[in-house]
Amino acid sequence: MAVITDTTLNDDRRRKGVDLSWPTFGFLAALLGVLVILPLFWLIWYSFRTSGRRPEFTLQNYVSLVTDPAMLRSYALAIGMALAVGILSCLIATPMAWLVARTDLPGKRWIRMLVTASFVTPPFLGAIAYEIIAAPNSGLVNIIYRSALGLSADSYLVNIYSFPGLVFAIACFTFPFVFTLVANALDRVPSDLEDASSILGGGAMTTLRKVTIPMVLPAMLAGTLIAILQALTMFGSPAIIALPAGFHVITTKIWSLFQFPPKPGLAAAAAIPLLLITIVLLRAQKAILGRRGYTVLGGKSGTPRITELGRWKWAAIAFVGVILSLTIILPYLALVKTAFTGTIGDAISFDTLTLRHWKFVLFEFSATQLALRNTFVLGVMTATIVTAVALVVSYLVTRKSLPGARYLGVLATAPVAIPGIVLGVALFLSYANPMFQLYGTIWILLIAFMTIELPAGYQQMSSAFQGVHPELEEAGRILGASRLKTLWDITAPLLRTSVVAAWCFVFVGTIRELSATILLTTANTKLVSVIIYDLNESGDLGAICVLGIILLAISFAVVFVANRLPVLGGSQMNARG
Amino acid sequence: MWFKTITAAALGMAFGALPALAEAPAPYQVTPELEAAARQEGKVVFYTATDVAVAEKLAGLFREKYPEIQVQVERAGSERVFQRIGQEYTSGIYNADVIETSDAVHFQYFKREGWLEPMVPQVVADSWPAEEKDPDGNFAAYRAHLSVMAYRTDLLPEADAPKTWTDLLDPKYKGKMVKAHPGYSGTVMTATFVLSQTLGWDWFEKLGQQNVMQVQSSTEPPKKLAQGERALEVDGNEYNVFRLQDEGVPIKIVYPAEGTPLAVGNAAVLAEAPNKNAAKLFYAFLFSREAQQLNSDFGGLRSFHPEVKEKAGRTPLKDIKVLESDPEKLEPMIDEIKANYEKYFGT
Amino acid sequence: MAFLELAGLRKNYGAFQAVKGIDLAVEKGQLVCLLGPSGCGKTTTLRLIAGFVPANGGEIRVGGKVVSSEHSTVPPEGRNMSMIFQSYALWPHMTVFQNVAYGLKLRKLPADEVRRRVDEILASTRLSALAERYPGELSGGQQQRVSLARALVIKPEILLLDEPLSNLDANLREEMRFEIRRLHDEFRYTTVYVTHDQSEAMTTADLIVVMNDGLIEQAGSPEDIYARPETEFVARFIGGTNILKGRRGDGQTVLRDDGLALVCRSGTVAPDGQTAVSVRHHDIVLSKDRPGDSGSNAAAGTVVRQIYLGSHRDYLVSLKDGETVRALAPVDFAVPAGQEVWMRFPPERCRALSR
Repeated sequence: MAVITDTTLNDDRRRKGVDLSWPTFGFLAALLGVLVILPLFWLIWYSFRTSGRRPEFTLQNYVSLVTDPAMLRSYALAIGMALAVGILSCLIATPMAWLVARTDLPGKRWIRMLVTASFVTPPFLGAIAYEIIAAPNSGLVNIIYRSALGLSADSYLVNIYSFPGLVFAIACFTFPFVFTLVANALDRVPSDLEDASSILGGGAMTTLRKVTIPMVLPAMLAGTLIAILQALTMFGSPAIIALPAGFHVITTKIWSLFQFPPKPGLAAAAAIPLLLITIVLLRAQKAILGRRGYTVLGGKSGTPRITELGRWKWAAIAFVGVILSLTIILPYLALVKTAFTGTIGDAISFDTLTLRHWKFVLFEFSATQLALRNTFVLGVMTATIVTAVALVVSYLVTRKSLPGARYLGVLATAPVAIPGIVLGVALFLSYANPMFQLYGTIWILLIAFMTIELPAGYQQMSSAFQGVHPELEEAGRILGASRLKTLWDITAPLLRTSVVAAWCFVFVGTIRELSATILLTTANTKLVSVIIYDLNESGDLGAICVLGIILLAISFAVVFVANRLPVLGGSQMNARG
Repeated sequence: MWFKTITAAALGMAFGALPALAEAPAPYQVTPELEAAARQEGKVVFYTATDVAVAEKLAGLFREKYPEIQVQVERAGSERVFQRIGQEYTSGIYNADVIETSDAVHFQYFKREGWLEPMVPQVVADSWPAEEKDPDGNFAAYRAHLSVMAYRTDLLPEADAPKTWTDLLDPKYKGKMVKAHPGYSGTVMTATFVLSQTLGWDWFEKLGQQNVMQVQSSTEPPKKLAQGERALEVDGNEYNVFRLQDEGVPIKIVYPAEGTPLAVGNAAVLAEAPNKNAAKLFYAFLFSREAQQLNSDFGGLRSFHPEVKEKAGRTPLKDIKVLESDPEKLEPMIDEIKANYEKYFGT
Repeated sequence: MAFLELAGLRKNYGAFQAVKGIDLAVEKGQLVCLLGPSGCGKTTTLRLIAGFVPANGGEIRVGGKVVSSEHSTVPPEGRNMSMIFQSYALWPHMTVFQNVAYGLKLRKLPADEVRRRVDEILASTRLSALAERYPGELSGGQQQRVSLARALVIKPEILLLDEPLSNLDANLREEMRFEIRRLHDEFRYTTVYVTHDQSEAMTTADLIVVMNDGLIEQAGSPEDIYARPETEFVARFIGGTNILKGRRGDGQTVLRDDGLALVCRSGTVAPDGQTAVSVRHHDIVLSKDRPGDSGSNAAAGTVVRQIYLGSHRDYLVSLKDGETVRALAPVDFAVPAGQEVWMRFPPERCRALSR
């Protein structure tokens, strides 16, 4: 009973925290509005303006868009390319996902890890690696092919500078999307559904055809749509491969409209169909994944059943081996080889080994240091801010604590529909005018990266939030912690692993971004991705490979450190790989 | 109202042209006072379209003389440099001190916009030919180079090599050529303009059927030759070829009888240069004999400095038939050239 | 004036009215149970008291001060209450000690004071040995006690419990019921306890508030609620009962259509129209023959089924008009299904219900 006497005293000590939820909401709404709505507004605005000294209202940009055969051709090629990439990705990824998820193939964990690691590779770096491997004359594969068969100098086996070459190079980058979705779906198809089919007399193949494949079909379609979307909006790979092949896709075409004399109005108009196509594809993907049947995959019925490959094992190993070599191992080897030899045609021996390119990049090339620093600083800033904003937004949305909070979620997801190059155009139009002079500063890049990475960060955080019981937070509040204090003390530590994962994801995404960056960098705001692109234009492949290796090393190092840092909840992450 | 302000000032061409009728200012010398003031600033930003290795070498030479002054070299294709300056100046961003591109049209434009600071180093006033410097002192020809046809002697026997531009239309060269892009490279824009006048657009149309590998910068075709990716370049910087020859790559230049396009690379100091004194010092340095000699020796660039000695084995400029273009005539043609080019070459 | 007062409290979720206007007064130190079936609004009421949801109408006052009204809501952290959640909501990343100390640290108490008070409460809840464990390493009952300790250590003005025992198995649940009562007797916090389990409410509460469909049906002591239900709903919900409907007769008499007249010694008969009588299962007396003095309160019926339950037999008897009545009888009273049996409804056990 003695304890109760000081209740009143205790009462006075009670913290009278100010509830910051409304100011926070307002701030986030304003921030997301600036990040998402403002650039789109300017994009649409400028698409109806003439360029020149006295801009005025015009429909001419749209007229040119539908009448200019070059423009139409670049759209047709881009769509054709994207569809081909989608189909190829699906054809490569689905059998591989099945082998990895559902058979006794050896080394399955390694295969998954390698495929996941390939997410980290910037697509433009991959494209350059394929130039080294498969350029028709100087490509390593073609050199070997000619010397092995004693063929004349102008025969070649593969030519990366072609439409199929471009499709292949992009598919190598996009197939992991399909792979991951399908493999995860296969992991979760309940075995009893398949057992049920077997008991009813279905053979292994029948079961596969009638039960398993239909169950993962949504994942396949969804993955394929992502691949199509990625291909359609990609800038780096087409710029490196399609231009030498003599054709434009829509992203490179938009980019070329900024050459002298610039046509920003036409560029803005050309970006709008791309935006619309993206929105349609995303809605389609959502509709497919949202269908009833797919939720069955959430069922928890033990380990999925494993098919024994038997005598097919070697064929399967060969298949996976070829795919992994083509998509991951060979490009990396090509990068390493080129970084350490004089020109790419040189054979590897002690005579040709050189550190020349390293010396050039690290000590002679004055842009390196600045670009590395900018890249790193921007990567860290973007990752930190996006993760923080995504954390708060997904908190407000999943906890429905304020009316209208879900619109924040909509805003945070919206940029997913804005292709990088479109965002680049839009941001340039928004911030390269006398009213808002952010162009030329690192901030415009920060804004671009935040906008680009927000959807990914938000999606990761909001699914993480759904795993934290709201009562854990309410317990904090009722004991006297304000909303933000609770978020900081209770929710954030519980989300730690998800936060770290989201942070790494955003960081890696940022440092490999090129399509928006290419329109937004200036001398003082150079990034590694852009100097790689610039060096590719002047043909310095050795230097590119060195920078690429440095970039990859930083990516892996940062991801590694972030996962090991004790304050960030180190060892729990290990299982995630 | 503010919409009007923004859009009026929005891009590239928004600023009203300022009349630039002033006389060229009096030539200046590099004085100890200038050097001291430049040291104080400690930095100069150089936007250039010269090959990055050459530009870095030049910066190194400058740093040797003035270790206290950092040179930040920003290298991109001429059109990218132009685009960047245009974007920056219309946005009121002033990063660059000294600018240099290989497209003479740019400097007409910059001058018209009033973005250049007129100044004339003593050596330019004394030794440069009158047609290679702006009468009002806004800019001067820092370098010149030819856009040359060249081939790999090991991949293409001399007997098979083309002698004239029209030779390139021979089916035997199909799939063997590489070429830079006029939308990206000022050198190639100039070359495309003069060649379209000399040979006509149907020559380009036929060349477009030859399965030509398309690259962007005019520094790139020689490098594709060096890699052995293609055997023959339609255009590309002469100086890159010289450098590769010095490195021992078996490349030979062809100077066709119809003539070889010449690109003049002007340099200028920007009106809003953040490091005014360092810019002035660096600008004078660019035209000095040692810098010009380095350009020639290491960079293979042609110089208007009378004391610069060309390396042995290079064909002297006077022995080559040169196709020069008039930037004022070229400027209104740019859109048409790009449209035609895309029609015939796909990009 | 009561310590915690709800006045005309309302809460809507869109068109759905979760709480339709309730009035309640809780004295300082009282333990109140909000009892009702799921969906009756009891949890919403608790969350309104906690400040997790704003009210649409009415007021909540604590010690005379308004904490929730249509216009303003003091946030939960400003109310000096604490709460025990259905899921316990122990923070898995903190040890037992850290969980319990959290509320004290928020109040910026000096470290030694924090330690002293945490140790004290851990001793009271018999958790001292487990202070450095993580919640994941504790049994359900231990987790529940941590949750209690965490809520109590800050000496809240009001303690709220949301179905605290529903995740425990039957044995533990019974034990914890008494534990909660013991702790309440020790500390005497004003407590609001939400449950759907009537026996839980009976064991722990000073005041039981039966809720139904967003409204309070009846509030009273456990004995009041059980012995003197005021509505049919309360009578049915608290302990099993038979509800027999009829019309008003003379005085406290209810007349059924089949002629059965039930004299009620307690309750209120509805002035006109239908009215009802509640008779608990174990209050009905069964006999093979017609009871002697039966002018009223007795009827014959047919045994529908009869189950032997060890301590007694459970009968279901059908009256002439088909209405069934459940009654308990001693083990030695065995009448097989299909036979006739007589029932007596003692007037002192019949409670008239006007609604």
